[in-house]
Amino acid sequence: MAKEITAEQVLSAATELVNDVSDFGDAVNAEVRHHTGGRRKHAYVYIEVVASEWRELALWLKKSKSVDYCSMVTGIHWPENADAAWQVVVHLLRTGVVNPPVVNKRVHETKVDVGALSGNSVPMEFEISMTIPDTREPCVPSVADIWVGADWNEKETWDLVGIDFEGHVGMRRVLLPHDSPTGYHPLQKQHKLRYQEFNEMYDDPQGFGRKPEDSGRVK
Amino acid sequence: MAEMWISMGPQHPMTHGLWTLKVKIDGETVVDTEPDLGYIHRGVEKICEARDFTQIIPYCDRLCYASANTWSHAYIYAAEDLLEVEVPERAEYIRMVAVELQRIASHLMWLGAYCPDVGNLTGMVWCLREREMMMDLMQELGGSRMHYNFPRVGGVKRDLPIGFAMRCRAKLKLFLDRIQEYEALLDESTIFLVRTQGVGYAKAEEMINHGVSGPNVRAAGHNYDVRWAHPYSVYDELDWEPSVERPSIKGSDCYDRYRVRVEEMRQSALMILDGLDKMPGGSETYHEPGDPAILAKAPARAAEGQTGHHHFEDSRGESMFYLAGGGEGRGKHPYRVSIRSPMFITIPYAAKCMIGYKIADIPAIMGSFDPCIGETDR
Repeated sequence: MAKEITAEQVLSAATELVNDVSDFGDAVNAEVRHHTGGRRKHAYVYIEVVASEWRELALWLKKSKSVDYCSMVTGIHWPENADAAWQVVVHLLRTGVVNPPVVNKRVHETKVDVGALSGNSVPMEFEISMTIPDTREPCVPSVADIWVGADWNEKETWDLVGIDFEGHVGMRRVLLPHDSPTGYHPLQKQHKLRYQEFNEMYDDPQGFGRKPEDSGRVK
Repeated sequence: MAEMWISMGPQHPMTHGLWTLKVKIDGETVVDTEPDLGYIHRGVEKICEARDFTQIIPYCDRLCYASANTWSHAYIYAAEDLLEVEVPERAEYIRMVAVELQRIASHLMWLGAYCPDVGNLTGMVWCLREREMMMDLMQELGGSRMHYNFPRVGGVKRDLPIGFAMRCRAKLKLFLDRIQEYEALLDESTIFLVRTQGVGYAKAEEMINHGVSGPNVRAAGHNYDVRWAHPYSVYDELDWEPSVERPSIKGSDCYDRYRVRVEEMRQSALMILDGLDKMPGGSETYHEPGDPAILAKAPARAAEGQTGHHHFEDSRGESMFYLAGGGEGRGKHPYRVSIRSPMFITIPYAAKCMIGYKIADIPAIMGSFDPCIGETDR
């Protein structure tokens, strides 16, 4: 019995899936990508989708492709790029987990025969990316009712990055204090840390070159 | 009877950290819950944007004090995916040993914290005794007791110390015997069984839909494991199989989640013993030894728009790092680091899971999911 999923299994399942995505037309662009580090360079499915089509695609992935697990929803702020100032990245997994079968009133645990998996039962990684042009109120459709696991991920993305999710019930601060100022989302790029954009840390690690602001003035 | 909200935490033995569980109760029965997190939010994702790829490693260690090695390794695999780095086989074996030792230590910490939750103080003392052995071993690797800073982009900090394999084998063999002591202590303790069996039922498909993974799903009767589903490292060469528990028709209860973690400790110990035998010789533990080039190449390799991610089997479920490169303008820093914490998603589910049970069951149910607030709040 095979110990783990092989590159061929993943690649053929990914290729099949990418071909099926083409039914959506121009709104969805899918491609097979490969990991570039580590011992195995397994394939995964990368999909670029127009934000307005995202819910439809999500429902299709859930129903037709049995994608059952939302790993991560996250956002990136690209202030220098006005056409795509906000990017939402969703990572999904197809796990194939089912409730253990009951035979003769007795529950039997599932032990997957990894070598026999094919098609829709192959575990698969999905990376879904959507971009929004520069706006004060970025917003994409919520998928928290499709995968409940996306619920708190979306809360976190709004809390830290400031991207709202349309249709999400009960949006609130989760990591920042509840009384944080409205519109304060620390992962937006206008909020800067010390050292964030220059190399002082390398050029002057001890800080000898740093001077107080009033140096040189007559005291 | 009138319903009312009570607040458990932030200072409460049930919480295993700093957070509040708001519970709506009707008499003794839990009707609704609302977790309130963020008490120790440190902004690690923001800090990482101002650090280069090597400087991020210690921050990842500090994500979870009970499971530092798994977090720094989860980061390092994602960084290698972004920077297109391959690692010598011996380094992969050493990483596997470090991660599985940490998994044992983390599960022991969990069991040690869980036993007092359900009224068995002896268990805590026994578990921390064995955890000390694992921490001694990891201290030999990383040089520190809790935060090891052990992996590097392209390898590990240093080779195994002389005699490490011998000491590791001896301690693990002793540990494999000691696991039987826990089983004897807990499986035959009436108070442990009464408090864990038949409470906190959770079904496999429901958990997956809620984003819960790892040992909690394996306890519900499906052997899904990132280590075979999205393989990395050298697990294909080792003799192991993912632990899985046979639940009841209603799903897995707290007792199943305890059983699966004990079994997982045993699998990890066997995995390390096997890995020490199969580890290739030599001293090659770093990608292109003596080559400081990886970081120098970082701006070119991590160009803008280039991303790396890696799904990793943490001791508490599937963890993930997503890194976006910033190109020349960002120097050696990533543009965005995003962390998927398994417990951040599991705690809301565990809170839902306890609806319908009594207040006295809350510590048993919450503890059985192995909450760790360091990684939850990041």
